[in-house]
Amino acid sequence: MAELGNYMDDTVADEVRMQLDNHLVHCPTCQVIVDSTRKTVRIVSDSGSFDLPDAVLKRITVGLMAKIRDERG
Amino acid sequence: MSYFAEAEPSDSFQPFSVFREYFGFVPNLFRLQTLLPRVIMAEAALSRALLFEQLCLPQTLKERLLLALASAHGNKYCVALGSQTLSLLGASECQLILPSREALLVEFTVKLGTRGHLISREDIERITAGSWTNESLLEAVLLAGWGNFLRTLSIGLAAPPDFAAVPYAATTPLLNIASAEQESFGPYLSAREMPDDFAPFAFLRDNFGFVPNFFQAQTLCPAAVAAEVEALRLILFSDDVLKRKQKERILLAVSGASQNTYCVAVYAEILTLSGVAAEESYQIAADHRQVVLTELDTALLDFAVKLSARPQEFSGEDVESLRQQGVSDQQILEAIAVTALTQFLNTVQWGTGAVPDFAPRRSFRLNVGENANLSSLDSRPTTKEELADPDSELVQRAQSGELEAFEVLAERHSKRVYRTLVGLLGSPEEARDAMQDTFLKAFEHLAGFQGRSKFSTWLLTIASNTGLQRLRERRPMESLDGDGPDGEEGFRPRQVRAWTDDPEQLYSQAEVRALVENCLKKLPAKYRVVVLLRDFEQLSAEDAAIALGLGVPALKSRLLRGRLMLREALAPYFAKSPTGVSA
Repeated sequence: MAELGNYMDDTVADEVRMQLDNHLVHCPTCQVIVDSTRKTVRIVSDSGSFDLPDAVLKRITVGLMAKIRDERG
Repeated sequence: MSYFAEAEPSDSFQPFSVFREYFGFVPNLFRLQTLLPRVIMAEAALSRALLFEQLCLPQTLKERLLLALASAHGNKYCVALGSQTLSLLGASECQLILPSREALLVEFTVKLGTRGHLISREDIERITAGSWTNESLLEAVLLAGWGNFLRTLSIGLAAPPDFAAVPYAATTPLLNIASAEQESFGPYLSAREMPDDFAPFAFLRDNFGFVPNFFQAQTLCPAAVAAEVEALRLILFSDDVLKRKQKERILLAVSGASQNTYCVAVYAEILTLSGVAAEESYQIAADHRQVVLTELDTALLDFAVKLSARPQEFSGEDVESLRQQGVSDQQILEAIAVTALTQFLNTVQWGTGAVPDFAPRRSFRLNVGENANLSSLDSRPTTKEELADPDSELVQRAQSGELEAFEVLAERHSKRVYRTLVGLLGSPEEARDAMQDTFLKAFEHLAGFQGRSKFSTWLLTIASNTGLQRLRERRPMESLDGDGPDGEEGFRPRQVRAWTDDPEQLYSQAEVRALVENCLKKLPAKYRVVVLLRDFEQLSAEDAAIALGLGVPALKSRLLRGRLMLREALAPYFAKSPTGVSA
């Protein structure tokens, strides 16, 4: 399992990569899992999830700095 | 109400005579361990050497050091015991306004006992500049270790105080933390040559093959060395209750959780002599749950790590849970004693600065909680290349007091911090609150940031810990650290239908975004946070591991599980239908 994670991140040793490549050729289930997990990572990274509009973030930052200035006296 | 039954001590039980002689009675802490007499014998030997015998420090000062540490920990049992002992010695708590020279020693002992990993040569030099001798300093170090030993015992046993505690306020401005983690190599104290026939060293050579620097660093106080070796013999080197191997694992896991690289390195190397691969030892120290152990052995390590690293969460349920798994009270008592002994060893190592006998193969980090000192977050040694930080100039300006520079940093990173927090907490309102907390903590601790990690990594570390702390408060029973019975350890993918080639094209961007947000919320927090740091914030595995106080293998393991869980949740939306059309 640990090597599978490294394989998907492309950080696995060449020898292990070859072994996994060979395994994937013959194992449709693993093919699906590797392919769909890679797609999951891509979708998640590009989704823009949890982003807050810049104007809202700016308001929060301004409030934060006002608090820091207050506390500093 | 203690977790363990108290047996009536026999009048002839020699260790109890030692306690009666000093305290005038047998403290509950020791009475509660009568199921395991050899552990009490070890504790009596340590008490005699560290507390009762006079090397340099007067008895009342020793007790004040212990009382100050107990008070800093908020440990009612130890505060009550210390107050009573002081009054027996003829000193009242009212006399706690100490001359500045003594206050210096109190401050040092409290820092060592509460944040030992931050002790540096600078702290030692402050003490010696106050004209304290190396011998006095060593005594203070040993007392900090002993204080931590007693504290761990009192929590593990739930010992009821022997007396009503007198509220005690610290008399000095405590914890003037200088986080000088560079240049802090020891040993800090002078040592003396011991004769070849010094029995404790002969014992260590027989058992370890060498005398670890840890003991060499304490030769100014041979009685303490002898008592420690006796405690190792009585508590660790036996197989009659817990197996020695089980206890050695506790030592590794507790030292790892305390981030004591020295103790882990030394013990990992010692264990290679018994055929245990060093890698396995390091993995136990980094995250024992990644090592294949029996359920019972894993439960013992969960227990010990919780008692040492998260004592505020420790309760009778932890003891009961071990009992239900068939662990005897004797075995639980021994696990508590080994945990306490490890806390002692870790504290004394930090205080003496004993240098590793072997090069550590891996360093460890604290899982930083709400109350941890944030200045220690960037202590990982890094290469020059890693130091290139686009924020460094702004950070320097902010550190020199320029608020506008901090404001730019806050604006630059607010999106990432918010995203991590809302992903963790779920609620946008709470995430905004937590974001404010994060930046306030960062501002407060900015002076301690030394640029040894990127500023953004440091900030996300604070954000993750702030978010996780809020989750703990919200759901105290949920395991966020990998020690809970949360059932997903055996997670295996079930959805094995192929996905369409361009799954994102099936939905609008807003729909994909909502799908991801909803599916991510279904993951347990300990996996969610890893996915957030790696796949949303694009932290490297190493930086994410640092942020979460995990070893890299543990981080990668959680990441893979998290990604597979997320894949599982998204599969119904992106998988091809059996007819080849997307579901």
